[in-house]
Formats: sequence, structure tokens, C-alpha cells
Amino acid sequence: MEDYDYLFKIVLIGNAGVGKTCLVRRFTQGLFPPGQGATIGVDFMIKTVEIKGVKVKLQIWDTAGQERFRSITQSYYRSANALILTYDITCEDSFRCLPEWLREIEQYANNQVVTILVGNKIDLAEKREVHRQRAEEFAEAQSMLYLETSAKESDNVEKLFLDLACVLIREAKQNTLDNNESAPMPGEDPSLPPLLGSWMLS
Amino acid sequence: MAADNLPSEFDVIILGTGLTESVIAAACSRVGLRVLHLDRRNYYAGNWASFTFNGLLSWIEEYKAQQQTPSTTSEQGWNDQIEDEEEVVFLSSVDSSISNLEVFSYASDKSEDDELLNSPVVGSLPKAAEEMNGCHKEAQDLGSSSACTQGDGDPHNLEVKNQDSCLSEESKKTDQQPIRSPEQAVEVKKKITYAMLLKEGRRFNIDLMSKLLYSRGLLVDLLIKSNVSRYAEFKNISCILTCHNGKVEQVPCSRADVFGSKQLTVVEKRMLMKFLTFCLDFEQHQEEFKDFTEIPFLEFLKCKNLTENLQHFILHSIAMVSQDSPTINGLKATQHFLRCLGRYGNTPFLFPLYGLGEIPQCFCRMCAVFGGIYCLRHSVQCLVVDKESGKCKAVIDTHGQRISCSHFVVEDSYIRDDQRMQTTYKKISRAVVITDRSILPSQSDHQISLVTVPPLEPSSPAVRMVELSSFSMTCMPGTYLVHLTCSSSGSAHEDLAPVVSRLFHVPSSCTEESIQGSEENEKPVVLWAMYFNMRDTSGFENSSYNLPSNVHVCTGPDDSLGSDYSINLAELVFHQLLPDEEFCPPAPNPEDIIYDGDQGEGAIFEGDSQKEEAVIEGEDGSQAHKQHGATCSSEPAESTDSIGHEILTEYDIQSPPLGNSP
Ligand SMILES: Cc1cc2nc3c(=O)[nH]c(=O)nc-3n(C[C@H](O)[C@H](O)[C@H](O)COP(=O)(O)OP(=O)(O)OC[C@H]3O[C@@H](n4cnc5c(N)ncnc54)[C@H](O)[C@@H]3O)c2cc1C
Ligand SMILES: Nc1nc2c(ncn2[C@@H]2O[C@H](COP(=O)(O)OP(=O)(O)O)[C@@H](O)[C@H]2O)c(=O)[nH]1
Ligand SMILES: [Mg+2]
Repeated sequence: MEDYDYLFKIVLIGNAGVGKTCLVRRFTQGLFPPGQGATIGVDFMIKTVEIKGVKVKLQIWDTAGQERFRSITQSYYRSANALILTYDITCEDSFRCLPEWLREIEQYANNQVVTILVGNKIDLAEKREVHRQRAEEFAEAQSMLYLETSAKESDNVEKLFLDLACVLIREAKQNTLDNNESAPMPGEDPSLPPLLGSWMLS
Repeated sequence: MAADNLPSEFDVIILGTGLTESVIAAACSRVGLRVLHLDRRNYYAGNWASFTFNGLLSWIEEYKAQQQTPSTTSEQGWNDQIEDEEEVVFLSSVDSSISNLEVFSYASDKSEDDELLNSPVVGSLPKAAEEMNGCHKEAQDLGSSSACTQGDGDPHNLEVKNQDSCLSEESKKTDQQPIRSPEQAVEVKKKITYAMLLKEGRRFNIDLMSKLLYSRGLLVDLLIKSNVSRYAEFKNISCILTCHNGKVEQVPCSRADVFGSKQLTVVEKRMLMKFLTFCLDFEQHQEEFKDFTEIPFLEFLKCKNLTENLQHFILHSIAMVSQDSPTINGLKATQHFLRCLGRYGNTPFLFPLYGLGEIPQCFCRMCAVFGGIYCLRHSVQCLVVDKESGKCKAVIDTHGQRISCSHFVVEDSYIRDDQRMQTTYKKISRAVVITDRSILPSQSDHQISLVTVPPLEPSSPAVRMVELSSFSMTCMPGTYLVHLTCSSSGSAHEDLAPVVSRLFHVPSSCTEESIQGSEENEKPVVLWAMYFNMRDTSGFENSSYNLPSNVHVCTGPDDSLGSDYSINLAELVFHQLLPDEEFCPPAPNPEDIIYDGDQGEGAIFEGDSQKEEAVIEGEDGSQAHKQHGATCSSEPAESTDSIGHEILTEYDIQSPPLGNSP
């Protein structure tokens, strides 16, 4: 009945107001919500995409507003395959907070998590406070991918998620290869979540 | 981060993020109440929290700092916000629920760094300190084994004490004679050093409270019913062990175990099966036990002609009750255990990956998803009470902001002693031990074991122990994380250290540590250990506090293995707030609400009224639950009665995971 080849959990983080919820809704529902107002009662959104004949189901998790007072639960980060770390290019402060977010990622996310830095709201070019080059350098130094988007104008939103899906597929294939070739590399993480041996209760 | 202000009005303000408070938060938010959920700490879950190794060291430091400097709270910013017809009730700004904390580090450290010089750190006993001094000499003489020093000011070496036990003179002396660590002479297998524990610290998730989930307990039922289970993953406890005749033995509990057991005779196997079958529906066989209901369970077991072996297994490992608890309790506990078998694997228990501390966070996430507002590092100074009605109408937070509310829910440790009717508590004794191998040598390393340790002496407490491997995501590969818990009769160290030294090799002297292959070394070696007591307020009721009627105090955690106490309390408080609302109805499944957007980008939501209905905008949260209720399929009904029989007749039939799988 399940019609996909891969399932990935993608988690969004970043300061409040940078456009995380808008990015998710733009991608999954194709709309830019007019009002503020978070979506009550929606936990994560699902979208299945097809890349070169491979069906990938993306489960995209939003913060549920807990970032507003810096109170995201650690459990939010667990077993994420990818993190979208978002800032607002028109808000220097949201960029300056990135190291703090990276510390949290390092503490609680899986070692192998793919992280992409996203500068959102490029439709507001005239209000830009963070230069593209600066962000690119920062991302590179932290070995993150980098992309600039506009949830409002739907710029690069599709690309953001599809690129991520591609990277995740590549990694997943690599992992199965590695696993088949028995012995893990030295320094490899042998304690990855044993997903098959654990119980999801629902 | 913007210095955002909190809204100034809520239906419920909840202070503390332990399990009970978090379940109440989720339940209230779920049915549309506006919830503000605060915690004074910078982490979730209070005394249910789990920490990375480094996080735990900070927690220990904080405890130590609090013991040394009595808090100087400046309560300000409230006077001008109080009207004539109001009065204030202050809350406590210090948490005194933890006591007798002691830390011992035995992991060797070859670090060049003097700061990291290391262990073992001596306990509070002067005798031990003398031994240590002797040990130093030996270490110097031999020049081969790792040094035993007590570094000063180094967090991992610290020994934390509360006022009633103080560092002995001898061990202070040790303090002043640090000896540099020479290289370890012999190294058989890869040794875990202290530096490795620190470096791999984030792989640890060390719970302050240790509990398991009964697979048919209230918590599992609630997780499934509410869909909060989607935020966590679980492993089943793979084996149940007991300390019997000085050995660690496997407890046969399922039919397969019983028949496969090597330590039981054929006669015993029959006896045990007969007895367990009786327990499954013991209510139907009044004649068998009616004369015993109030007589100790052990007497009943003896009367049933069960062998000493079997009595031990049933009393300590299956019923897990004390020798003198009445037969009726023993039978109920045995029945519960048996009914939990086979739902998720061959033991009755589950454990959350990443530790128990995940569970309160999962409920908090559910609360937030339904609009609850979260703020850690934020507390309440005082309650504003209306003199006439005697009710709490607002609080003043630690930033001096007045926030009104109709109900206030608070964890016990925030309550001042002068609001209590009684100030004596029960306590829980806890030990956390990091070891280098499993207690059962033959085990594969994917295991989680529950070990019951009957009282070592008639006067000592029964101890329960949970050993976690790295597959539980609570410790680094190559180590095991062991939790010991009992209800206190003395300090945690007094209660539990004898069990630790019985079951593990505690490197009390350096020479001993270097002997390889001795019998002592067959036991897991303790790398690091921590002991502490936690206040157990589970005996208190709301009438135990002198507080307004719309202030609800959350007590616990209690000392039992499961979490039924906390879940029952959460439901009770919820129904005091909202007598007519459903407790944690299922949250909608996102997959029922959201669709695959094959249509590509565009305003596909417009005109699709069905889907629009399912995604509910935040302006009017109070409507949310009504609409959602309809979109959710509820739990498939299951007859509990038939389950137990299934286990015993066809033990290997697994009941499928509940809920509609996606
Ligand atoms: C629907 C279902 C889901 C399960 N999920 C898990 C899990 O996530 N983690 C876990 O540790 N144990 C799971 N189990 C239990 C697991 O089957 C046994 O605990 C253990 O693997 C014993 O293996 P066996 O060789 O005795 O059983 P088998 O004879 O291998 O399996 C018994 C039945 O269970 C089915 N089954 C076995 N494993 C799974 C699985 N992982 N997912 C779905 N169906 C399965 C088989 O198709 C078969 O119908 C599940 C059992 C069932 C029935
Ligand atoms: N101009 C512009 N505004 C945006 C964009 N993305 C989000 N916003 C606005 O930024 C505000 C915060 O967006 P939201 O998605 O709620 O941010 P979140 O707190 O990170 O989830 C809202 O007012 C959005 O309308 C964008 O790409 N361009
Ligand atoms: Mg948002």
C-alpha cells in the first residue's frame, strides 16, 4: 500500500519570524499564507516527490512555535535525516543567532544529519542586511549547503526540498553499500538508531 | 532572539515540565485551552530529565553551587501590580528535591593535562580514604597502575555533599597530594578513559528518574491514544534478570522461557505454568486465595508448594512486591505483568530510545502543536490571590510581568515549606553507574535488562536495576549505563553502594585494578558512578497544601517501576479543570490532513473545502479539537481478557502494534 522508496524526516529550525512555516506551506500546499497565525494542530507535513523515477516521501517538521522563547525540545531533533537552518536575509539578528542553533544541532541531532542553511525573503532585496557572500562563507566553514529562497515568490522553494531529497537519497544508497560491505569504517558511527529493531507505537 | 513578551492572559499556567505537568499541558491545549508552560531550568522534564554526560556534570555543578550559596532571591516588581483586594503567595525559588549527591570517577585518564588527572575519587567514609592513601603509595611504588588522585575543582572529580555528610579530613588530605598518572602498564581491551566519556558525552542520555513502560500500562495506552507516540521510538526490554543465590540469573516469564529454562526442573516448570495460568484470571478462582488476601504474598506462595526458586522469581521479579505485601497485591501485580507480556516482544516492558526524559518532551510538543506557549528559564515569583474568592487570578513571573490565568498547575518543588501541611517526605535512592560491559557476560550487546535485586540483608531495601546498552541511545558504544533505584531507607549511597559492589567491580584500589583475569574482573568495572536522593512526594494530596483551590500541585515521580501514578494524577487534575472534556483525544494524523501535492505549486487549497477544513488556522484555537475529532479514527478496540490466554497458549503470537499504521 505504501507507495514510496524512501522516507526522510526533515526538520526546520531558526529564529521565529524568518519564514520557516511559510517555506513548508509553500512547498507542501503551494500557498503563501496571508495572515500570521501558526497552523494549529498540524504536526508535520507530508509531500511525496519523484526524482529520476525514485519516489521519496518527505516528512517535514515545523517547530510548533517553541523557538520563540528558545525552548525547542531535544526530542524534536532526534532521528531527523536533514535540518533546514533558516535565517531572514533582511534581519542581521537572525543570522547572528546561527552559531547558537549550530550548537544545539551538535548536541542533539544525529551525527550524520544533512544540514542546509537557507536565507529566506529574497523578494525583499532592498532590505537585505546579510550579504550573500558572507552567508556562503559561513555555510562553507560549517560544511553546510546554502540556498537563498523566497517563500512569498516561491523562489527556490521547490529546489530546496528537491536538492535535499537528492542528497538524502545519495547518502542512503551510500549507507546501504557501506552496510553490505560489513565492517564499518573506523570512526563510523556504529550506534545509529537501530530503526528496524525499535518499536514505533503507532 | 527578540525579547518577546509573553501574552498577558492564559486559561492555564503550568509551572514545571515533568511528566505529570507535561501531560496536563498537552491535554489542556488539545481541547482548546490557552496554555502557558514554564520551567525555571534551561532543560525540559525537571526530575524526569535526561542529560548528556557533560550536561549531567553541569547539573551536578549547579547542585553543588546551590548547596554552597543559599539563594538570595530579590523578589521585586510585584508590589505595584497588586490591588487592595489581592494578596500574594510566594513560590520557592530553590529546588530542594535532590539531596545527598555523591560522584565517583574511576575511569583512568592518560591525559597529559593536569586538570584532567583522575580518580578514583573517594567516598565519604574515612576508611575508604585511608585505603586511598595506601593506594597512592602503592601506585608510586609500583609505578605501573593508574594513579589515584582526587583532583580539586575538576568537575568530574568532584564529590558533592549536602550539609549532613561532610568530607572527611583524610580525603581532604588526598586532595592535596595529587599524583601524576603514569601510563597504564597492561592493556587488554580498549579501555574507556575519562576523556573518552567527555568526548563522547553527547551520546549519553542519563535519566534522573529510571522507569520502564509497562506495555499495557497507562502511559503506553495514553501515548497511543493521543498519538503522542509518534514523537518517540521504543525498544523492548530484552531480558529480566534477578540476583539469586549470589548469581545473576534469567527469570523465566513467558511460556517459551519457562519451557526453555535450564535452571528449572520439569516439575518446577509445570508448577510455574500452573501458577501463572491461575494468576492470569485469579479473580475467577476465589476459593484458591480468599483466605489469604491480607496475608503476605510469600506465605501464599509457600502454601502453593512452590519451590524456593519459584517463590523468588514470582515474588521479586514478576510481582516485584515486598515480602510482606498482601497476597491480593501480589496477585494483581503478577496478573498485570502477565497481561503485558507479548504485546511488544517477550517481556512486559518498553524503554524509550534516548531515555525516559524524551517522554515529557513529547507531550510538550503535542501541547505546542495545539498552540501552547513554551518558555524555559522562566519562572513565577508569586501568585496573585483574590482575597474574597480565595482564588488565584494571576501570577507575577520572574521578569515582573503580571499574567492572568484561571488555573495554575505547579510541580511540588516550586512550593514553599510554609504552604505545606507536612514537611516530612519519603525519598527515592538513585544510583547511576557507567560500566564497561554487561552484567550478563553471554549477552549480545543489543540488550536492555531489568535486574531485580532482593534485599541483601533483611533490613535493606529491594533494589531494581536497569542496564542499558548503547543501542538504547543512552550511552556511548563500549559502555553500559546502569540505573539503580529503591525507596530510601538511608542515603542513596548507603542504600545502593552495597549492591553496586556486589554486582560490579568497583576499583577501590589501584593494584586491584591492574590484576587481569581475576574473578573480580569478570564483573563489569565501574567507570563512573553517581548517587543521589530524590524527594518522593507521591504520598501528598492537594489537601496537603495550603493553597488556593484553583492551584493544582503535581507530586511525584514515585518510586514504582511504571508511571501509572503520574498519568493517573494528570488525568485527575485535568478533570478538575475540565470535568466534561475528553482526556487527550487522538491528535489528527498529519497524513490524513495533508495530501501529496502532485498538482504542483498553486493555490490548490482554495476551493478544496474538505482539505481546508482539516487544516485549522490558529486564530481560534478553541475550535480546533471539535473539528479534529471527526477526522481521526479511534483506537481499535481490543479485548484485554483474551490477551493473557494468548500468551500462555501461543506465546509467540505478537499482538500487532496498535493504531492505524500509515
Ligand atoms: C506487525 C508486527 C510488527 C512488529 N514490529 C516490530 C518492531 O518494530 N520491532 C521489533 O523489535 N519487533 C517487532 N515485532 C515483533 C517481532 O516479530 C518479534 O519480536 C521478534 O522479531 C521475534 O521474531 P520471530 O522470528 O519469533 O518472529 P517471526 O516469525 O519472524 O515474525 C512473526 C510475525 O511478525 C511479523 N513481523 C516480524 N517482525 C516484524 C516487523 N519488524 N514489522 C512488521 N512485522 C513483523 C512477521 O511477518 C510474522 O508475521 C513485530 C511484530 C509484528 C507482528
Ligand atoms: N516578504 C517575505 N515575507 C515572508 C517570506 N517568508 C515568510 N515571510 C513573512 O515572515 C513572517 C514570518 O513567517 P513564518 O513562516 O511564520 O516564520 P516562522 O516563525 O519562521 O515560522 C510572516 O509575516 C510571513 O508572511 C518571504 O519569503 N518573503
Ligand atoms: Mg512558524
